[in-house]
Amino acid sequence: MTAVLARLDGVARRFGSVQALAGASLEVRAGEVHAVLGENGAGKSTLLSVLGGMLRPDSGTIEVGGERVEFASPRDAWKRGIGLVHQHFTLVPALSGLENLALGRRSSPFRLRRTLEGLRADAESLMDRTGLAVPLDAPVEGLGVGEKQRLEILKVLLRDPSVVVLDEPTAALAPAEVTALFALLRSLAAEARAIVLVAHKIDEVLAVADRVTVLRRGRTTLTELRANVGAEALVRAMIGDPHVYAAALGVDASASHSRPTRTRGAVVATLDDVRACAPSGRLALDGVSLEIARGEIVGIAGVEGNGQRELALILAGRLRATAGSVRLPAGIGFVPQDRSHEGLVGDFDLAENVALALHADARFGGRATLAWAAIRAEAERVRDRFAIVSAGTSTRADMLSGGNQQRLVIGREMLVASDLLVAENPTRGLDVAATAFVHSELRRLTESPAGPGVVLVSSDLDEVLSLSDRVLVAAGGRLIPVPEHARSKQGVGALMLGGARGAA
Amino acid sequence: MARPEQRRIDLGALSVAAGAVVAAGGVGALLLLAGGYEPLGAARAALAGAFGSTEALLSITLVRTVPLVLTGLAVAFAFRAGVWNIGAEGQLLAGAIAAAWVGLAGRALPSWVLVPVLLVLAGCAGALWALIPALMKLRLGVGEVITTLLMSFVAIHLTGWLVHGPLQEPRGIFPQTEAIAEAARLPALVPGTRLHAGAFIAIAAAVAVAWLFVRARIGFRMRAVGASSSAARIAGRIDTGPIVLVAFMGSGALAGLAGGVQVAGVTYALYEGFSPGWGYTAIAVALLAALNPLGVLATALLFGALEAGAAAMQRDAGVPAVWAMAVQALVILAVLALDRLRRRGGGGAARV
Amino acid sequence: MSEAELVLFLEASVRLGVPLALAAMGEAITERAGVINVGLEGSMIAGALAGALGALAFGSGGAGVLAGAVAGGGVALVFAAFAIGLGTDQIITGTAITLAGLGFTGAVYQARFGATGTALTLPTLAPAPVPLLADVPIVGSALFAQAPTAYLAYALAPALWYWLFRTEWGLELRAVGDHPDAAAAAGVRVRRVRALATVFGGALAGIAGAHLALAHAGTFAENMSAGRGFIAIAVVALGRWNPALVFLAALFFGAASALQYLLQALGLDLPYQLFLALPYLLTLAALAGWFGRARAPAALAVPWPLRR
Repeated sequence: MTAVLARLDGVARRFGSVQALAGASLEVRAGEVHAVLGENGAGKSTLLSVLGGMLRPDSGTIEVGGERVEFASPRDAWKRGIGLVHQHFTLVPALSGLENLALGRRSSPFRLRRTLEGLRADAESLMDRTGLAVPLDAPVEGLGVGEKQRLEILKVLLRDPSVVVLDEPTAALAPAEVTALFALLRSLAAEARAIVLVAHKIDEVLAVADRVTVLRRGRTTLTELRANVGAEALVRAMIGDPHVYAAALGVDASASHSRPTRTRGAVVATLDDVRACAPSGRLALDGVSLEIARGEIVGIAGVEGNGQRELALILAGRLRATAGSVRLPAGIGFVPQDRSHEGLVGDFDLAENVALALHADARFGGRATLAWAAIRAEAERVRDRFAIVSAGTSTRADMLSGGNQQRLVIGREMLVASDLLVAENPTRGLDVAATAFVHSELRRLTESPAGPGVVLVSSDLDEVLSLSDRVLVAAGGRLIPVPEHARSKQGVGALMLGGARGAA
Repeated sequence: MARPEQRRIDLGALSVAAGAVVAAGGVGALLLLAGGYEPLGAARAALAGAFGSTEALLSITLVRTVPLVLTGLAVAFAFRAGVWNIGAEGQLLAGAIAAAWVGLAGRALPSWVLVPVLLVLAGCAGALWALIPALMKLRLGVGEVITTLLMSFVAIHLTGWLVHGPLQEPRGIFPQTEAIAEAARLPALVPGTRLHAGAFIAIAAAVAVAWLFVRARIGFRMRAVGASSSAARIAGRIDTGPIVLVAFMGSGALAGLAGGVQVAGVTYALYEGFSPGWGYTAIAVALLAALNPLGVLATALLFGALEAGAAAMQRDAGVPAVWAMAVQALVILAVLALDRLRRRGGGGAARV
Repeated sequence: MSEAELVLFLEASVRLGVPLALAAMGEAITERAGVINVGLEGSMIAGALAGALGALAFGSGGAGVLAGAVAGGGVALVFAAFAIGLGTDQIITGTAITLAGLGFTGAVYQARFGATGTALTLPTLAPAPVPLLADVPIVGSALFAQAPTAYLAYALAPALWYWLFRTEWGLELRAVGDHPDAAAAAGVRVRRVRALATVFGGALAGIAGAHLALAHAGTFAENMSAGRGFIAIAVVALGRWNPALVFLAALFFGAASALQYLLQALGLDLPYQLFLALPYLLTLAALAGWFGRARAPAALAVPWPLRR
């Protein structure tokens, strides 16, 4: 049996009234890739933050190399050989790659230049060894997503940790980049390190893991060798409830099948040779043409940053094209990706949040005034129809759980989407039950050819493939239609990657 | 925040404000004790000075309250839309300059023309003074905290130049303007007191701003932009630029109006050191009212009374008037601390 | 303009610029850490009073300067406890701290010296000419016949620049002001760095206040900081958050104030109030990008951790 490098036992941690961890345990051994699975909100990220010294647990123990330790800061964790690659980039945009690598090292505090030059040599030899190529002298704000990801990993590896913890490292990567990353993780594990990995896509991590630990509601429900555990047992450990479990399987089962072919309705939106710029000023859409018909779901897949964000904003009427012609209908609903910042105002109650979609509507008030009674009645309907759990329509949106927030956003946007609904990663961050609900709502909306057209922009290939009538891949600012014979994860993945290369 | 219709009675904010006043009063009393004064006597003298007689209430307290209401509204108007205009001081001076000029130049005009023109131009001047930071924010992305502060300094020095130069009284001795025309002055509300029609203007402005926030489409849009400009833009399809501009202009206009009302109702002239810092006290007034326009009426009265009482406290109890300033500071700090503690305690409790 | 007048003007520019330079260089460090301390005025007036009391108690100007630094840092610590400890809004907290500083110093002063305030005679910080350097024509007597606090400002300008841009601590501080989450992930104690930077800024503002009382006025007067704490925030912006440039910007503000003496000496009847407004207009122009892009720290005035 190989050496246990780190062990967390009975870890509990509370945030306000939310018990994020309630007795979670994790044991990692030298030479293994260890996957941590669980539904959203199961406590995976919190557990890793505890291991990485970012958070102190309320109770429970941490052992490293068989010794009880307490981490007051990430620095303490590094000293014990634990390196954490964060889910969100933790790079300072205004500093160069090299300066970011130097941050927090304190090797010769008064001689920053000497530190930087010493680090450059180390970083370059590590880049040669691992193939993680990153420009070191440019400010980080100008780097691409993949480069930032590599820099994050480089930053951790430079400290030569014995335990490498990665929180959702694949979210922004193309399939081929994921493959390369996993190969690197395998070779790191072969150097007698332990790799701890959290990822959203279960099949992806299962392919690389030696052992798995499953969390549910802040507790460890399963720890087992990968080879000894089947998919069903894993899902049961993750979600527990057999009803939800069935729904989850229903979604997964249909993943590789397209919808039955149906009659298309009238065209509601047309883009013709459209160009648009990202906020940075970079050309993000480079000549896109697209027609959306009533009653169809058009899926847009792609690696993030290939223009699908701008495409969604243009179709939703939130962004003006710099060239080309755009014809949009009047009744557009938009479910933005970042619901807490773009979809909702946390300080507003349910009715005020519904008013966000109605405040320009002449039916809800006079020329200059708003008719709150009518708006509140609409909010009441959304709340009932979408089973939003709240005390009433006077509840503040930031008091709702993530799933209820998403129900509110989708419910509100369906209210106004008489012609077109644009949804950006509508199930990102939702648990299995909430995901199933969103999928069924999208299907219901497009049941009849008189219903609105739906544009589904998603980085989740299973979702796109299972829901869409037709699929397009956003790559390098263009749209590539996916032919019927290529409608599979492999086929679409290949198109995504080809386009990403073209863009680079 | 409560539902929009009920926003007037926000129990949480109300309890924070009340708690803050009590806490600041308590700490202030302890400090007075430590300084060798008699807190009760000081409080009694201050209360008598602020509310003890019709003269005290109408001529002193309410007269001091009026500019605080209007500048407090100015701050609340901007802050509610997420615009950190901390330059109400400069916008007030711009309004006062415009008012003094109209009051001097318009001698030939009848009162029913002159007074409205004076007030409108004062508001316009305040708005104009806010326009430069507004454009710098919207066109160049320069944050308004520093620019509005800078504009206040420019206004202070501009006032200094005007009352030493072009607008100085004819004898050229004092750094002030001549008294404005009788016809330009606001009428007294209660004969024999200094309370002027500006009090009505202040109350009307508070009611108007309150109505705007609760009922008007533009008010809703301002609140949305202030609470989350990204959600306002994406979910609300609100073009935030014009909303931010409206917030700057409205805020500047209210502060400019404060300057105009002060010139036309109280001082009848512009002079060096015209504002004792109303534009800054206004931040405290607005904050204590939780940016609620009707709450501003109450908190401005509190701060007006504090200033009125301070003079009496010094005269009758021998406590230096600067204590009032220290107590104001304690009130703000207590509001900040209590509000944070309330949010921290109750933040996740109601999460469903 | 004669040479004597020029020397007078330069000397006055430096004399008026030094307190601004001290406070603004401190504030530059504070703002680089992502904290805008509008309560600087409170630190400065507290420093002035403590400087006066300290000099009186120990009979030396140097002790006064130390007392000023402690008082200024102490006031900034109160600001930090609210804005960094509790995460309250920095602008509003700073406004309150300024009010508190002005109020309490006035109260203490009156309690100690009576309501009318007897004119204090203090052990002052006398000009200390630097041998040799002070003899250089024009520049020498303008720059090197100043109070010792001026030399402190001269030394701090390059020292703080080096510290900020050429040491790892400076790198950590800049990271905290630009992206506190990233700094925290790299093991930097964000709130501690912010609190230390704030207290450091307050201490320098306190020294600036002591300089006003001991080297300028030779006495304490209520509200004698006269808005210099706010002016320092403008100076930081003109100096683009770079301590060396901030020092020069402070001298420029000092020169604008000194101009009125020069104009009087020359017998010119020019509207000096307009010249007083000039530095503010120039700062606005600088922020508008007329002299190249000036960028504030990205996380300036943003509380950390972010309130929910």
